[in-house]
Amino acid sequence: MKSSLKNMLLSLTGITILAGTILAIVNISTEKPIAEGAERTRNEAIAAILPPFDKIERSTATDSDGDTLTIYIATLEGSNTGVAVETFSNDGFGGYISIIAGFDKDGSVCGYRILQHAETPGLGANMDKWFMADDTPHNIIGSNGPLAVKADGGDIDAITGATITSRAFLQAINRARSAAMNIR
Amino acid sequence: MTALQTIKDGLIRRNPTFVLILGMCPTLGTTSSALTGMSMGLATLAVLICSNMVISAIKNIVPDQVRIPVFIVVIASFVTVLQMVMQAWLPALYSALGIFIPLIVVNCILLGRAEAFASKNNVLLSACDGIGIGAGFTLALTAIGAVRELLGTGAVFGFRIYDSSFGALLFILAPGAFIVLGFLIALFNYIRHA
Repeated sequence: MKSSLKNMLLSLTGITILAGTILAIVNISTEKPIAEGAERTRNEAIAAILPPFDKIERSTATDSDGDTLTIYIATLEGSNTGVAVETFSNDGFGGYISIIAGFDKDGSVCGYRILQHAETPGLGANMDKWFMADDTPHNIIGSNGPLAVKADGGDIDAITGATITSRAFLQAINRARSAAMNIR
Repeated sequence: MTALQTIKDGLIRRNPTFVLILGMCPTLGTTSSALTGMSMGLATLAVLICSNMVISAIKNIVPDQVRIPVFIVVIASFVTVLQMVMQAWLPALYSALGIFIPLIVVNCILLGRAEAFASKNNVLLSACDGIGIGAGFTLALTAIGAVRELLGTGAVFGFRIYDSSFGALLFILAPGAFIVLGFLIALFNYIRHA
């Protein structure tokens, strides 16, 4: 079709209004499922990384670097059983890593889940299982106190070929522990 | 040109990855495993069929000078709809594909097919072209993903063939993507011309 100012304006305006309307409708109808999905993922993670609890309370705590982290305090029949901390590191191989880590009432690691990361698939991305593999020198479950990889004088085996990711992961866990200790 | 011939053309004679060499960014980026490669292919397939049909349907009311912006608005809308729908109802797949879903917008296969095919043919043939090219892209990405996953981790679609300690890490990383892509292009064209 031959272009004129009038038909160009009309067709561009028409198509953008139509596209905008469709996007608005889809956005409204998917908003709730997306929020519910994120909520469910977080609740499942909290349930998996903490000792049994019957009540969970959302709060915030300050870590050793002065950052404010979201925490979830778990109680069973009124007494404190543990705390889950949404922690992070900006020093991953792919930048930002978000982790939720659970600690029991003594401050020992009960478990963790990776919420978000951009690490290399097959290398750093293996951190989702590596640090909780049973009977290995890289299992951090039950550990109490600051963690470091062997290259830095610690006693945790770094992920093969992904020392930077491992450092970032342990940094996030240490940060979470400092926040968890700050609330009691 | 029949509908069936158009689909077959998209799969083989005009295979977007192995013959047209289009859409290399998602091809290299998402094929670290067979499953993610296939998911990316299917997502592109869905967008390509929709965008081809709509562009073919509106081709006579769009002025020539603004056709490219109009095509991009159509493609971007479908990609955004797909992204929101996946995030809502297929969150696991969404987190696996991550940044690559919005990047479908700038996948040159979509604009290429809009310009070269959908803006010159009727809705039915354009849909068939979308199916053919999309399926060709999906098959290519699945093949590259399967080879990389097998050589890199010893598994295909998560099914272990041999122990992962024999896997060559190179194939999971970016260089492996280029190497596997090159060899598969050569193999595909050797068979095609044989």
